[in-house]
Amino acid sequence: MSNLRNVAVVGFAQAPIVTRDLHRTSQDMLYPQVRRALDECGVSRDDIDYQVAGSSDYIDGRPFGFVMALDVMGSWPPRQDLHVEMDAAFAAYYAWLRMQAGDCDTAIVCGYGKSSEGDLDRVLNLQLDPFYFGAIGLDPVATSALQASAFMEHSKKSDHDFAAIAARNRAAGVRNPDALLREVADPEVLSESEWVTGPLRRGYMSPYGETAVCLVLAAEGKAEAMCDRPAWIHGLDQRIEMQNIGARNLATSAGAQLATQKALAMAGLTAVKDCDFVELSATNPAEEMILCQAMDIDPEEERPVINPSGGPMCGNPIMMTGLIRLGEVFRQLSGRAGDHAVAGAQRGLAHAASGHCLQQNLVFVCGSERRWT
Amino acid sequence: MSQPPETPIKYIESAIRLPYHHVAGDYRARYLRALRDKKILGSRCAATGKVFVPPIMSAPHSFAPADEFVELADRGVVTTYCVVNIPVIGREVELPYVAASVALDGADISIFAMLQECKAEEARMGMRVEAVWKPDGERTGDHTDILYFRPTGEPDAPRASFINRL
Repeated sequence: MSNLRNVAVVGFAQAPIVTRDLHRTSQDMLYPQVRRALDECGVSRDDIDYQVAGSSDYIDGRPFGFVMALDVMGSWPPRQDLHVEMDAAFAAYYAWLRMQAGDCDTAIVCGYGKSSEGDLDRVLNLQLDPFYFGAIGLDPVATSALQASAFMEHSKKSDHDFAAIAARNRAAGVRNPDALLREVADPEVLSESEWVTGPLRRGYMSPYGETAVCLVLAAEGKAEAMCDRPAWIHGLDQRIEMQNIGARNLATSAGAQLATQKALAMAGLTAVKDCDFVELSATNPAEEMILCQAMDIDPEEERPVINPSGGPMCGNPIMMTGLIRLGEVFRQLSGRAGDHAVAGAQRGLAHAASGHCLQQNLVFVCGSERRWT
Repeated sequence: MSQPPETPIKYIESAIRLPYHHVAGDYRARYLRALRDKKILGSRCAATGKVFVPPIMSAPHSFAPADEFVELADRGVVTTYCVVNIPVIGREVELPYVAASVALDGADISIFAMLQECKAEEARMGMRVEAVWKPDGERTGDHTDILYFRPTGEPDAPRASFINRL
């Protein structure tokens, strides 16, 4: 592979995830995080070439809702800007592309959205086609349950396996001050929690939440001055599968598999076990196991550590869950992970997803050293 | 089976109903509460001193916080206007009426206001206007607490005093 530009995550700011912030609009929540991220990098807003955000107008509850955020992102003098109606991790992907094109060296990537202000399950139903899947009322809870059921049949995994995974994530979340759920949960208790939609129980679901995040990307030459320990992007890939849920094998994730293989190849690696940890956008235990299978991760092995932050099962702020995974990789590799630090972490993988049943997958592989010389 | 239906299906019902409960946010909540007491609040930019109304957490131009609340006059100057010949839905107004941008005294950006007690041909930039409030006991902390603005009869403000507050 020909040389690409070395681009790194150099800053990340996130407010703790809450169920509902009664005192701030999404703009009010975002502004302090943009300021914090820039302060952390020791730069002013004018030092940033490009701005990009991920959010959803349907979550904001107004058409063109994303333009509201421009006022708190420092959009003066007039800036180069892009918005994606996807998890903000995909916005980071586009900022990386712009840097490869060579037309910017620094970017802020913002994610926001107050999912508590609307009815999220109804909103996410609208991702489906209006003639059939949407019309029959499928929402992410139902489609996740269909996927979990297909996976159980395929893998012979049990309710107990689900409980163990949920409990492991919850135990990790205790050490992450930004997590929404921060109490240890006994797997026995989780496996007795009420059914939401079988085979998924309340204790296995990711609780929706809201926050605001700002991540800073910089290319080699700028990154070093902005961060003592940048998290260099070694490889990344993004794959989407067809919309028709019935046409996909829900027990597997071909998209996550291919995206991981391609990202590893770009990173010059052959297996995810070469990473010290992974941060997966797994919103329930079945998704986590499907992703592990797709990425060829053996959860029994010591490495990679899976979701040291507690992952989405300890808080799922829609539109930001994926970008937070990349932010967590930065925290680990830059020595900013505090109590949930993975000892000696040199390489990490961040995974983001959008759509029902892992329809879209994005994988970043990052390392503490530059990829290309 | 393979033939399309003789009578085409013209449409499918696909009504979308999405309820939202927006949080006003503390800045806007304080502004709305103050209207109940016939007060108009703004917030001042920590970097430039510019005053925004309604109050906002940060200044869009300077990117600095705008967290100092200031009370503004309920009168100001017309900075630009238009003449409206179509009725306001759900509201009795005499047509045509004047819709204006009004820079309140002490504010650096203008708000939007309906002018009444003012003939369209008399409206002009620089005209001094004041708020007409709902009576005491009827204000609820809502934008409609100000019924409209009307001319004060004071001499017009010089152009230089409002040209940067459009």
